[in-house]
Amino acid sequence: MEAIGHAGTCLGIIAEDGVLLAAERRNVHKLLDEGYFSDKIYKLHDNMACSVAGITSDANVLTNELRLIAQRYSLQYQEPIPCEQLVSWLCDIKQAYTQYGGLRPFGVSILYMGWDKHYGFQLYQSDPSGNYGGWKATCIGNNSSAAISMLKQEYKSEGVKLAEAMKLAVKVLSKSLDITKLTHEKVELATLTRDGNSCKITIMTATDVQKLIDEYEADEAKASAEKKEKEKASKS
Amino acid sequence: MSIMSYNGGDVIAMMGKNCVAIACDRRFGIQAQTVSTDFDKIFEMGPKLFVGLPGLATDTQTVAQRLKFRLNLYTLRENRAMKPKTFMSVVSNLLYEKRFGPYFIEPVVAGLDPKTNEPFICSLDLIGCPMVTDDFVVSGTASEQMYGMCESLWQPDLGPDDLFETISQALMNAVDRDAVSGWSAKDYVIEADKVTIKTLKARMD
Repeated sequence: MEAIGHAGTCLGIIAEDGVLLAAERRNVHKLLDEGYFSDKIYKLHDNMACSVAGITSDANVLTNELRLIAQRYSLQYQEPIPCEQLVSWLCDIKQAYTQYGGLRPFGVSILYMGWDKHYGFQLYQSDPSGNYGGWKATCIGNNSSAAISMLKQEYKSEGVKLAEAMKLAVKVLSKSLDITKLTHEKVELATLTRDGNSCKITIMTATDVQKLIDEYEADEAKASAEKKEKEKASKS
Repeated sequence: MSIMSYNGGDVIAMMGKNCVAIACDRRFGIQAQTVSTDFDKIFEMGPKLFVGLPGLATDTQTVAQRLKFRLNLYTLRENRAMKPKTFMSVVSNLLYEKRFGPYFIEPVVAGLDPKTNEPFICSLDLIGCPMVTDDFVVSGTASEQMYGMCESLWQPDLGPDDLFETISQALMNAVDRDAVSGWSAKDYVIEADKVTIKTLKARMD
């Protein structure tokens, strides 16, 4: 749990027409080889993706296992695995590591986003103990408590579209991250939407992420300018 | 009564100029009786990768599902589309795993390389022996008829439209001479930017 508290922030938000996951990319080192396309966000199946916070090697083992579980279900039932079942299956495995064998638990918290025909868009969070819960918006990792309190104030459960949710995600991330300025290299954003009869998982490109950040900063600048105007007006 | 001709069915794949075509008949029968006329034996495994699985129908379905399983995991882990040559190895491995109790199908793989768009066709036997050719591959109950038709009709470097005509004629005339194949055909012509699927109404018997 300690390792997770220091790991890169991940947050997830459900909107009316989709779900999104945003993650802070910690490993922005000049010498690091940019082989990877996605650092923290993993596609699990056509209808589910996840984001991890904690010990990366443990996370790799778990995401691999999640993909296998999803495929096995798909092979047996010829339909995509319902989201809660995937989460619950993995959590059973995680729990076993806390009770049997003398092994240590997996030091990872995972945020899952998905769609299924039973419950629509869903967001789940699981932790090393094997506990999981369904959320409308949540955050794990560094400064997650600050982010959660901000989400509590700003999140509206009715009538929020994905675009608005993305703006909210950028806002919350920029306020809760340790760095001063948000750039597209530090943030990974992925969305899951329904396109007709199938799910679409999109990992946003650097340019799109930068656009969102720029929009947010423009809004912020406007808001602080307006505030200053008001203060000046009230003083005079 | 051979188990490979219990359900009946055929698949041909041909190589063209920067394109490949794969075609199958659509009959599903139980020995002499026809049960369904829309049983396709070609499955899409990737945007430019198709596999045809003629033979015992239950194995057609099972192998297609198991192949998709392996291909999905590969795509998720490696973050890229599988090359046709690699896919051939996956099929071969899957079939050899059942060396002493095999799946009764003789697959045909056709596709374009995801990056270079180089065309590729190959066929395998029921225990996974791969055979890569640069002209055509056939598999099914009317394989002898198909070999004859392809040998006479095929030429190298056919464009997509000519390839479509050639593979259609080859398949239709071959299955017309086979009692357990037919009931219309489905053709897939795979090019770098699109896949054209056409259903052909032939002798509906």
